[in-house]
Amino acid sequence: MDPLLIRNFSIIAHIDHGKSTLADRMLELCNAVEKRAMRAQLLDDMELERERGITIKARAVTIWHEHKGQRYQLNLIDTPGHVDFNYEVEKSLQACEGALLLVDASQGVEAQTVANAYLAVEADLEIIPLLNKIDLTHSRPDEVAEEIEHSIGIDATDALHISAKTGKGVEAVLDEVVKRVPPPREKLSDPLRALIFDAIYNEYRGVIVYLRVVDGVIAKGQKIEMKGTGKVFEAVEIGRFTPDMTRTDELGAGEVGYFISNIKRLGDVRIGDTMILHKGPDVEMLPGYAPPSHMVFADFYPTNNGDFDNLREALGTLSLSDSSFSFDPVTSEALGFGFRCGFLGLLHMEIIQQRLEREHDMDMIQTAPTVNYHVDMGGGETIEIHSPGQLPEQYERLLEPIARVQILLPADYIGAMMQICNDHRGVYVRQEYLSQTRVLLVYDIPLAEIIYDFYDKLKSATRGYGTLDYTITDFKAENLVKLRILVNGEDVDALSSMCHADQADQRGRSTIKKLRKAIPRHMFEIPLQAAVGAKIIARENIAALRKDVTAKCYGGDITRKRKLLEKQKAGKRRMRQVGSVDIPQKAFLSVLGDREDSK
Amino acid sequence: MTSFRAQQLTPEPGTALYVHLPFCVAKCTYCDFYSLAAEGEDLDGTLEAVIAEVHRRAPRSPKTVFVGGGTPSLYPPEDLGRLFDELDRASGFRASAREVTLESNPESLDADRVRALRSFGVDRLSIGVQSLDPTILELFGRVHTAETALAALDAARTGGIERISADLIYGAPGQTVEAWLTDLRRVTAFELGHISAYQLAYEKGTIMTRWREEGRLPVFGEELELAFFEATRGALGDRGYQAYEVSNFCLSGQQCQHNEGYWRNEPYVGIGPSAVSQVGGTRFGNPRSLHPWRRAIERGDYPTAWEETLSPVERLGETWWLGLRTRRGVDLEAARASASVEPEEDPTLPRIEEMMHRGLLERVGAHYRLTERGWPLADAVARKFLDATSEREKPTDPWEPAKIVGPTSPDR
Ligand SMILES: Nc1nc2c(ncn2[C@@H]2O[C@H](COP(=O)(O)OP(=O)(O)OP(=O)(O)O)[C@@H](O)[C@H]2O)c(=O)[nH]1
Ligand code: SF4
Ligand SMILES: [Mg+2]
Repeated sequence: MDPLLIRNFSIIAHIDHGKSTLADRMLELCNAVEKRAMRAQLLDDMELERERGITIKARAVTIWHEHKGQRYQLNLIDTPGHVDFNYEVEKSLQACEGALLLVDASQGVEAQTVANAYLAVEADLEIIPLLNKIDLTHSRPDEVAEEIEHSIGIDATDALHISAKTGKGVEAVLDEVVKRVPPPREKLSDPLRALIFDAIYNEYRGVIVYLRVVDGVIAKGQKIEMKGTGKVFEAVEIGRFTPDMTRTDELGAGEVGYFISNIKRLGDVRIGDTMILHKGPDVEMLPGYAPPSHMVFADFYPTNNGDFDNLREALGTLSLSDSSFSFDPVTSEALGFGFRCGFLGLLHMEIIQQRLEREHDMDMIQTAPTVNYHVDMGGGETIEIHSPGQLPEQYERLLEPIARVQILLPADYIGAMMQICNDHRGVYVRQEYLSQTRVLLVYDIPLAEIIYDFYDKLKSATRGYGTLDYTITDFKAENLVKLRILVNGEDVDALSSMCHADQADQRGRSTIKKLRKAIPRHMFEIPLQAAVGAKIIARENIAALRKDVTAKCYGGDITRKRKLLEKQKAGKRRMRQVGSVDIPQKAFLSVLGDREDSK
Repeated sequence: MTSFRAQQLTPEPGTALYVHLPFCVAKCTYCDFYSLAAEGEDLDGTLEAVIAEVHRRAPRSPKTVFVGGGTPSLYPPEDLGRLFDELDRASGFRASAREVTLESNPESLDADRVRALRSFGVDRLSIGVQSLDPTILELFGRVHTAETALAALDAARTGGIERISADLIYGAPGQTVEAWLTDLRRVTAFELGHISAYQLAYEKGTIMTRWREEGRLPVFGEELELAFFEATRGALGDRGYQAYEVSNFCLSGQQCQHNEGYWRNEPYVGIGPSAVSQVGGTRFGNPRSLHPWRRAIERGDYPTAWEETLSPVERLGETWWLGLRTRRGVDLEAARASASVEPEEDPTLPRIEEMMHRGLLERVGAHYRLTERGWPLADAVARKFLDATSEREKPTDPWEPAKIVGPTSPDR
């Protein structure tokens, strides 16, 4: 395929602005999908994506578009919009020369519109702004064009007005892509270099590698070397996503596709590695990807200690298709052996946890998320900790991550929002009007506050219209304390958390209150206590169970009633015994503020 | 036809025998037994099928016989006579059984019938009184009045059967503890040997459960349930009735021996639709539906619809659960022996200790039994034992730290 006839682009936007819907229309226009197979957000094929109506993983598709009598190959990548999946966007942009910046013309510019646009600017891509959802009567494309110019600094006066829903204007977008997005710069004649940008594990076919050919050509039957791991594999099958996997004999520079070689060991494939021709000319490794920075950490423990190995295997398989979380073995006094995992955000954490449960049938306990702290040990030594349990007895100073937070919101809510920022130990940086009605508010806020309950507060204070984006800019020494929780007199390390000394009393009380509701009654009274150091700052009791007995049990009932009792026991899924107390999963999250699902 | 292990099992002579006759005048609102309103049903054909199953499956020389339902007393005495004659022919129960109980309801019990039953070999009557409160009787969908119920108790005596038990249900919506105790006193005045007093339970699939789910019935708090439970034990205890099981009370020596066999996890054979058997460590049941059961019998097949065989350790857990429901409790050695569990394989020991430590379990001679405080928590305690003996939940080889070879995530 002549690289001059290829266009690689991503669709980027804030969450829900219509990226996947736009991709649907493009697939239809290019006849990539049969009519009867079509469904909304076709590329969102993961169960959790369909359930939640959001894109979690970027998806690449090859489509063909005729322009002025010439047939072009378009490789489009539909990216996720949620702040947690920024890393996916960053990776996608690296494989492209252009980006469609989609803005919902009824909502206007939002936090990830700005954040993702900046990523595209940094990657030096041609950015094509699009005003979407103009079928909505309350859309205000002109105002939104102005917001784009103010917030991102690109000209949006001639931005196409489209409706991804009705398809209006989408044909013109395809033409615009051909005209404005530059073709890939690489050459077919160079020695092969392909970048592994993703992979999945298939029970029958082994690891399926997703690649973008940077230089040269990869062909079926070739011996391919993974430059990073040194492993050599034959190209048993290669092909394109159209969007189904479609075999082809070769993929040339600028093309995106897959590679299958019956690879059974997950460790043999590394996301970001370079694929080259085995015994071919020596070439330099591609830069690959910068490691993701993990924002939050939480521990996973199998409910049954015996399932530790299964959990490790499940995490390994999952990390192949999501290279952006980390996991390391960890031990807890209360919960035994498990893994400490690093995530890009709370939604990311929730998704991983649910995928482990559904795709790998894991039954586990997850501790409340925390951020990473820097501990200044004195004498120039600093260590990093990912859980309150790791805090050393003696240290000089404790530093916490500070996020530079950009909040985009309707001007009406600015007062309420500032109050919330102050309540969360925020430090005002600046504010800016993007248009008459939309304001950008910038604060420095400790990351721990953001994961505690800031996001939910923001959503309710702005009736859902406020959005936020953040990056870690600093670590700052603060008066932080460890809030310990004692259940039935026993210190449960997995329930402890860090907080500012001034908040300890209030957080201790609210944690204990929530625990009291979350832990079921037992045959004995269970005292709950919150403590800072040796000082008990809050206490409550869970009253003992008083009556629990079946009235009738005769010969005909025995099997059925026993199963009933066992079923009540099965309700103990995601429950761990600590001492003699059964603690269910939701109790472990009691140390967080009240939060709903973090979409 | 699927083959069941149960079909190869022959009960030992002496095994307890249960016979289920599924018909009642009307279905009660709380009832989850397999019972049908009799109207329009083929009572005669069903009886013939029961007799056919008796000839095929009844054990020899049963030590106890219990004919339940449904309302067996609904059948005309001649029919019941035929049933007992055939039963005797098949099993020889008249010579072997120490106890022959028939379940009955007030509307179908008078002195003449009782006399007839006695002549068939019945020596114990269990009578469904349930309540003496007209409002509650109506709510329960009972077809008799309080007066009929009390008259039936008299009739049982007059008819010459000495061993009488009354079934009662307490804790109906709106009932107070005081009102219940007053009713209870009226029943104890008859000085029956045995009383079963059940806390009303909302079983799956009953009419009352539906009413409750629809929000039409008030829900009892735990404290009130406990007050009823303890008041019942107290009031009956004061009159000399010992609580020998969670809901069963008797004067000295009047225990229901048939039911005691269930709580000791002993074998039994059940005949009739929905009836369950336990033979040789396997428990199995007939279909909970008249026609499939009858078809199987009439074809000459075994009517088994399901079966389960527990592992020795699981059986031991069950023995604990059932045994703890009784005042006698569990004889550790005997329980292990009958389940064939070696002492070193017994996973219940830590639970015994824990429950004793919590003051819920005590040891009396060779037996472990619930304490006064343990009784209302019998299920919670039982769950501990079932937990410990459940095969599925046992952790597979505990993980050893040395086995970690580091995370398998691709290093980045
Ligand atoms: N009225 C109208 N609704 C649209 C249009 N485009 C998308 N939508 C709707 O907006 C919602 C979100 O669309 P998606 O395509 O899932 O948005 P997305 O940008 O892919 O979202 P994420 O992948 O989660 O970031 C869906 O309910 C779409 O039907 C449009 O042009 N007009
Ligand atoms: S009489 Fe007994 S078996 Fe018949 S419906 Fe009523 S409670 Fe059920
Ligand atoms: Mg999407």
